[in-house]
Amino acid sequence: MPYLLSFHWGWLVGSLFLGLAMGWISVVQRGNGTSKVTARWLAVLVAALVGVALAHVVPGRFGYWLDLGLIMFACYLVGCTIGAWLRDIVVSRSQPAAGNAP
Amino acid sequence: MQKLFRWASKWWPGLIPLAVMWGIAVWNNTLPVEADLAARSAAALKDTVLDRTRIAVDGRDVSLVAQAFSEEGRRDAVAAVENVPGVRLVDDQTRLVQEANPFVWSAERDVVRVTLSGSAPLPAMKGRLMEAARKEVPGVEVADQMGLARGAPLRFESAAMLLLDQIGKLKDGKITISDTKVSLSGMARDLGGREAISAALKNLPEGFSVATNEIKAPPYVFQAYKDPVAATVTLTGYVPDNTVHAAISAAAARKFFGEKVVDNLKSSVGAPASFGGSVVAALGALSRLSTGTLVVSDREVKLSGDALYEGAAADIRAGLGKDFPKNWQYKPEITVKPAAGPVDGTVCQQLFTEILTKGRIRFEPKRANIDPDSAALLDHLIETALRCPNTRIEVAGHTDADGEEGFNQALSEKRAQAVIDYLVKAGLPADRFAAIGYGSTQPVAGNDSDEGKAQNRRIEFLVR
Repeated sequence: MPYLLSFHWGWLVGSLFLGLAMGWISVVQRGNGTSKVTARWLAVLVAALVGVALAHVVPGRFGYWLDLGLIMFACYLVGCTIGAWLRDIVVSRSQPAAGNAP
Repeated sequence: MQKLFRWASKWWPGLIPLAVMWGIAVWNNTLPVEADLAARSAAALKDTVLDRTRIAVDGRDVSLVAQAFSEEGRRDAVAAVENVPGVRLVDDQTRLVQEANPFVWSAERDVVRVTLSGSAPLPAMKGRLMEAARKEVPGVEVADQMGLARGAPLRFESAAMLLLDQIGKLKDGKITISDTKVSLSGMARDLGGREAISAALKNLPEGFSVATNEIKAPPYVFQAYKDPVAATVTLTGYVPDNTVHAAISAAAARKFFGEKVVDNLKSSVGAPASFGGSVVAALGALSRLSTGTLVVSDREVKLSGDALYEGAAADIRAGLGKDFPKNWQYKPEITVKPAAGPVDGTVCQQLFTEILTKGRIRFEPKRANIDPDSAALLDHLIETALRCPNTRIEVAGHTDADGEEGFNQALSEKRAQAVIDYLVKAGLPADRFAAIGYGSTQPVAGNDSDEGKAQNRRIEFLVR
């Protein structure tokens, strides 16, 4: 893991920024997201992939690609969370001000 | 939390660029990761002792193919690769080097090269053995045909090193270690090489023993060449030590009365038993030849040349064999020198005087027995006597002034008669000779010095 992080840090930082941007947008985006059922299925899929990666089941290059993909995905999720949270703070500060306006 | 789920449900569009990034990352990084891990794995194995190591990286999985020299070394190597940061799985394809039974190592020397073959226990030791061989025979090609195997006996390296030290002493041959048994065969380079190798083998490490030692020594050669034109006798080849050298030189000086002895002998060990006595006897035979070559090679004596007359040739052919020990071989190739033309009595007298000026007939002290060292001189006297068959010759004996006159008189007569007996035995008619003894009455030098006395003790040939 430390090796993967240090070797691919540029890509991971990229994923993190992509996540930040996506999270920033997601707070104010209108419309429906994925349905609960789809989200659950996606969660199961990700959990299964994580399990497969930890168990070292996939051999050779595919195994390495899976590990890299999951780590980039994790960074993306972290980025999304931070982005969404920051945006939420910004939005909640500005909304009362807008509401109090005459 | 509710909010988080609501936001999260809208994060999926970002997965598309993420997937694209992932694809590009994979495309760009797979080969560098594999190369990096291969380099790190190779570095991790730097201090382990392995043979035929091959590292293949697939993604982050390392496949390690190698031959190890012990189970512990094998496990250590696999663990070392497993501990390389970034390596996910190690496909362990290491094997132990096969065990040789018996463990055989050999060094063979021929005309052009030294070949090391068989098994060595470790790659590093293989290198050290090669280096030692190169140092031992500088300028000679050293070929490495050694494989690697487990099962070397304890202290193998010191035994092999000691044996490699001997390879320089061989002209050709093979040295083999089979488990703890050492076998040697071949030919030593120099005289004494065989003995030096045998001595070195006593220092073999504990546990090792010599199974067979069939190193042969080069022939121990002694040569003498009698050249009547230059009036020299050249001695070449080897003598075992200074004592024998001195004995041979002294004998040569006595036996070759008319020739200068050129001594080119060298000292070396390795002489066969009874070497000195046999060489002295053979030199006696050579001295009787007008021209000839003597070659003593180990226990074989070859004598070739021209005797002065037929009787001497027969005598040399038959007589010398019994002077050698039983296990010696004697190969005479004696021919007879063409007889010189007849001369009259005056010339004969000149020739006798000339011969007897160069050398004296020697006798045992105070007795009338002729010393065998005088055989060559007597042969020349006989040859001369044969050239003037119609003369009568007076053989006169003289003594020095030591002792009683009566004894000296009798001794001089007996010695003169002994010489005549010798001549008659050689085939000359007895009636041509008369023995006369003068005792000490006709000295040719003063009797007050050893040198003068020696000159007075003499036999003279007088043609009548």
